[in-house]
Amino acid sequence: MQDLNTEIRDIIAVIIEKKPEEITPDARFFEDLGVDSMMALEILAAIEKKYKISIPEEKLAQLTTLNQTIAVAKEYMSQTNG
Amino acid sequence: MGIFHDKAAIVTGGSRGIGREIVLMLAANGADVAFTYHSNAEAAVALCKEVEKIGRKVLAVKVDSRDFEKAKAMIDAAKQAFGRLDILVNNAGIIRDKALMMMTKDEWLEVIDTNLNGIFNFTRNAIVGFLKQKSGSIVNITSVSGVAGMARQTNYAASKSGIIGFTKSLAKEVAAYNIRVNAVAPGFVETDMISGFKDEHRKAILAQIPLARLGSTADVAGAVKFLLSPSADFITGQTIVVDGGLFIQ
Repeated sequence: MQDLNTEIRDIIAVIIEKKPEEITPDARFFEDLGVDSMMALEILAAIEKKYKISIPEEKLAQLTTLNQTIAVAKEYMSQTNG
Repeated sequence: MGIFHDKAAIVTGGSRGIGREIVLMLAANGADVAFTYHSNAEAAVALCKEVEKIGRKVLAVKVDSRDFEKAKAMIDAAKQAFGRLDILVNNAGIIRDKALMMMTKDEWLEVIDTNLNGIFNFTRNAIVGFLKQKSGSIVNITSVSGVAGMARQTNYAASKSGIIGFTKSLAKEVAAYNIRVNAVAPGFVETDMISGFKDEHRKAILAQIPLARLGSTADVAGAVKFLLSPSADFITGQTIVVDGGLFIQ
């Protein structure tokens, strides 16, 4: 699972234009990292594309930290897998 | 192959009048079309048959534009049926014309809720998909009443002016995502909406129109077609007035 965590961190880093190491597991996207709502949507869309999953937009509000984002991604990956 | 070949579109208020013409225009140019209707199921079924005859997929759903959840369900159903969504035409609208001094609060609210909140309901539910796919085109049907004002239409004109502000603001907000948002403002068009006008009233209207005729639904659909087409790829946030010159700024 380390790979998944790193992959998602790297996806987020590209979108929000930060170094991956700045995105600590519990750094708050909006308050600490300057993520805006459009960036959050891009993160969601990029994760959907990468893992071929579909995450409802209602989940956007839960993408507040790297850890949270990973949790949401895992939730929908497990649904897809069975 | 038409200019909207294999695109998928939603038209609100599609069963009659201008909406119906827009549905047929989109289908004739290659799009699959989902449309909403409010009360006239017979007209909706007839239109479905016409679209199928053209050879495109069609979906008709009874939705009150005031209902946010139903708007969401309708958009999800269209995406499911067509596998995609590229175009949204917000056309649904009603009139409850009356002098302000005689207008009830319900007549005010019903028009604002249907015409203006309805646009929020559909656009809000479509926009996330457009943002994700980084493409999409929206045309909102407003009115010359919302541009120039019209006596006995304070409710309608307020809703239609609101649509123009909405169009301009959203156009700025989503332009970076390759989404265009424009509006078309018809003047007097030969539809059910004005079929109840008395002859004298019609004559008085015609006397004010430089092109000396009422508009047709095809006149309006033509402007919508242009705004949705690649010919308008560099146009966003604009309102095209289709009124035979009634209101020339």
